[in-house]
Amino acid sequence: MKRPMNKNTRNGRNALNKQMDKKNFKIRRKRVCRFCTSNDIYIDFKNEKRLVRFLTEQGKIIPRRTSGNCAKHQRQLALAIKRARHLALIPYVADIAR
Amino acid sequence: MALYETIFILDSLLPPEEIDKQVDRVKELLETNNCKVIEIDRWGKRRLAYEIQKKQYGYYVVIEFDSDGTAPQLLSNEFNYNDKVLRYMTYRFNKNIIKDRAKSELKAAKETKELEEKIDEKEAKVEPVIEAKKVETAEEGKETENEKTNE
Ligand SMILES: [Zn+2]
Repeated sequence: MKRPMNKNTRNGRNALNKQMDKKNFKIRRKRVCRFCTSNDIYIDFKNEKRLVRFLTEQGKIIPRRTSGNCAKHQRQLALAIKRARHLALIPYVADIAR
Repeated sequence: MALYETIFILDSLLPPEEIDKQVDRVKELLETNNCKVIEIDRWGKRRLAYEIQKKQYGYYVVIEFDSDGTAPQLLSNEFNYNDKVLRYMTYRFNKNIIKDRAKSELKAAKETKELEEKIDEKEAKVEPVIEAKKVETAEEGKETENEKTNE
């Protein structure tokens, strides 16, 4: 699913830039906010399985530039993650066995 | 008055009667202070994501209530004093939560309506079949009568 905003920015780029991209083999992931596409109003902190997808292995919050979330939903997500952490639903720091 | 929710984690090693007692205690505390308890949801024993007071499991209880702004302070006083409570959190429902609930309620209402309509349709379908059968029997009766007259 492509959002119209993304489409516009793609079209806005000139042909030269596109060629450069091809030459440099730069891979651009499509940035789509998953909460916008699923039409969610509220992100529930009780649903920890959903939150885990936006955490790194160490338990850090994945930045917006990587996950592609919009600012509005990233703020809500951060709040939900912090609440879930406080209630021991998800870890503050996940130990990685070495 | 606004909607609030408090979640607290009790020591899971407590006997069940003691857990009931603690939940009732919080409920009574809320009710004596002009709060309207809407729902008590017991998640039960769950594994904690990290150890709290050297405990790996906790008993989660969620209480939703309607209150003025004094309730969070009241609850935090209670929970801080009570060492059977490992962790607690009280928060006020923001507009997003309320919107989301209204939406899901609307959806549920729609679904029940559709179900009812389906049932109505089924009933409507059943009736004509019975009528058709009646007609058939009536025709058969006529035929037999005709046969009789022929004889
Ligand atoms: Zn979004």
